[in-house]
Amino acid sequence: MNQKKVMKLWMAFMTVFALFIAGCSDESSGKGGDDSSATEITLGFYSSGSADEKMQELIDKFEEQHPDIKIKTQNAPYQQFFQKLDTQIAGGTAPDVWLSDGVFVQKYAERGAAKDLTEWINQDLNKDDYYGLDFNKGPNGSYWAVPQGIQIASLFYNKDMFDKAGVDYPDESWTWEDLKEAGAKLTIDTSGKTANESGFKSNSVNQYGLTFFSITEGWMTVLKSYGGGILDDSLKQSIIDTPENKKAMEYIVDGMDRGIFTDPSDLQAFQSAMSPFPSETAAMRIGIYARVLAANETGVNYDVTVLPKGPDGERFSPVIANSWIINNDASDKKAKAAWEWVKYWVSEDDVQKEWAELGEAVPVKKSVAQSDMFLNSGDKPANKQAFLDSFEFAGTLDVNAVWSEWVKKTGDNFNRAFLKEASIEEALERADKEVQKVLDEFYENQ
Amino acid sequence: MKKNPNKRRKIISYIVITFSAMIMLTPFITATFNSLKTYKQYTAIPVEYIPNPFRWQNYVEVWRMTDFAQYGWNSFIVTVLSVLGALLSCSMVAYAFARLDFPFKNSLFIMVLGTLMIPPVVMIIPQFIIFKHMGALDTLVPLWILEWLAQPFGVFLMRQAFLSIPKEYEEAAKLDGCSPLQTYWRIFMPMCKPQLATLTIFTFMTKWNEIMAPAIYLSSQEKFTLPIGVLSMSGAWFGKEQYLVAAALMSLIPILIVFFFTEKFFVKGASSSGLK
Repeated sequence: MNQKKVMKLWMAFMTVFALFIAGCSDESSGKGGDDSSATEITLGFYSSGSADEKMQELIDKFEEQHPDIKIKTQNAPYQQFFQKLDTQIAGGTAPDVWLSDGVFVQKYAERGAAKDLTEWINQDLNKDDYYGLDFNKGPNGSYWAVPQGIQIASLFYNKDMFDKAGVDYPDESWTWEDLKEAGAKLTIDTSGKTANESGFKSNSVNQYGLTFFSITEGWMTVLKSYGGGILDDSLKQSIIDTPENKKAMEYIVDGMDRGIFTDPSDLQAFQSAMSPFPSETAAMRIGIYARVLAANETGVNYDVTVLPKGPDGERFSPVIANSWIINNDASDKKAKAAWEWVKYWVSEDDVQKEWAELGEAVPVKKSVAQSDMFLNSGDKPANKQAFLDSFEFAGTLDVNAVWSEWVKKTGDNFNRAFLKEASIEEALERADKEVQKVLDEFYENQ
Repeated sequence: MKKNPNKRRKIISYIVITFSAMIMLTPFITATFNSLKTYKQYTAIPVEYIPNPFRWQNYVEVWRMTDFAQYGWNSFIVTVLSVLGALLSCSMVAYAFARLDFPFKNSLFIMVLGTLMIPPVVMIIPQFIIFKHMGALDTLVPLWILEWLAQPFGVFLMRQAFLSIPKEYEEAAKLDGCSPLQTYWRIFMPMCKPQLATLTIFTFMTKWNEIMAPAIYLSSQEKFTLPIGVLSMSGAWFGKEQYLVAAALMSLIPILIVFFFTEKFFVKGASSSGLK
């Protein structure tokens, strides 16, 4: 037998075998050394760049304070995190406690994946001390989650652009019509004409009055302040095809038609739909709190104020309370340990402050949100109080168990109206039918 | 005066090639420039095409922000094991379908092709549950092991390749005393290098770029593969997209290397067929 060949074959086999071992040898290590009385819980969260480090620091501190609880983290990029979570729930391996986007809380609640926290919240938390607990309430009054950080919208405006155009800064007296009027003076086409001058070309705009995007920072906010909305109080009936919504849509479509608001096709020209305001191509935006990050990064000279009123004086600020959910399948011991984590997160001042320093969200604990540390940190915007004032007229995005599904149906139809591919009446009628179908399919099968 | 028609044709073809190469290269060049900008320049309108200054430190920053080397190593293990598995298992199954006789051969082959039509999303949850029972969650195993069980596309590709090899080779090998396994390994495999190279590149690219499976099966950050490691860099709220572009470009390098390495087989494959 050819010895060289045998050697060669043997070497090849060993290489493959070594890789095989490397591929298999990732069994969870680092478990050893714990005393058996410690409860280990898994905590899932979506990765958020630099915020991951802060999260780990806070977990380490928690473990120091609670030597009987060990936390194992599971994370993934935002979109993949929720894909994975759905698979894990189906496979019975979901984390014991996880961070959920506020708009998905009801989805997990109504599918039986989230633990009802009403009793524990009543017992351990003083509801008046926190923002946003009520935004996670189900239609029957149960609490399904505890906020981790709050996104609430205000009107962002670019001070330099207002100064240059000689327009007064927006304030709480503004209606949506005032916004459009001011927006017209701030919208400039390629030849330098503004939207209220004759000869202005609405199809070649260089600077927009308002950047308008999707649901939260777009249509839902206007619809609600015009007295409309998408679902009724039961969250099982569509109320899309109403005169209030029609009026709101007419307002939006007119703004887009005149080039003052960005329409969906205008946004395609940008690196992302989020970039018109930070790149100083739009004078105003409806923005949730986290939008300050990009604006501060590019150094826009801006401030915020509360969102404008509708024609009847009604005001609305959309809110998304990203929240901790405890797994309904977690054992008692693990659920209790997970609750310790949730309590630690919302009630410890240090934790709230450290997280607030990242500037991603409004703190959940009122005393921290109302402190100088948050309101007068020196970072823009100066008027952070506007975010807190907005809680008075804040509401959710009609969140229910099939939120993602109906948002897609509504958004598609509204976009057709925005792009003039359908009339407003047609868009509302079709959206209404399609959304009702989604709702019926889910709730009638329950 | 007579012009050399060959020269003229050459000039035209070079112009066409250069032009189409420019079109193909534009996204790549734009991405490279984008990766060297600040966030302000990245989002700037009107677009600033050329970064000013060139921020090479973006690449350093990516290495600092993520465990790039670890993610790269994980991706490497998954990809190499997948490629080996695909080459071996697909060609073996294909050889059986192409050259051996057994009952229900054709119906079985149609069933194999039929599995191509099952959308992958349908299989996620059942596979997840199987791997859970195997205790393979949060390991790299689910990411490569399926490739050792012959994928239908690879089986189809290799079967077509084996079918095109004249019977005489097989008969000659048989006369010389080769068993079917030896014929497969010593005669057929070396003759199908171009198809094996194709399968290598396809498997390599799919596995190297895969997002869904690693995101679902891996939970600990140190086990992440490159694509999800890179995606994790962007915040939920604020992208810092210039770093993402830099990271994406860096993760392209291995694919380019594999392509350059296997390219010669594509060229050879076309010219070296036939009996001598």
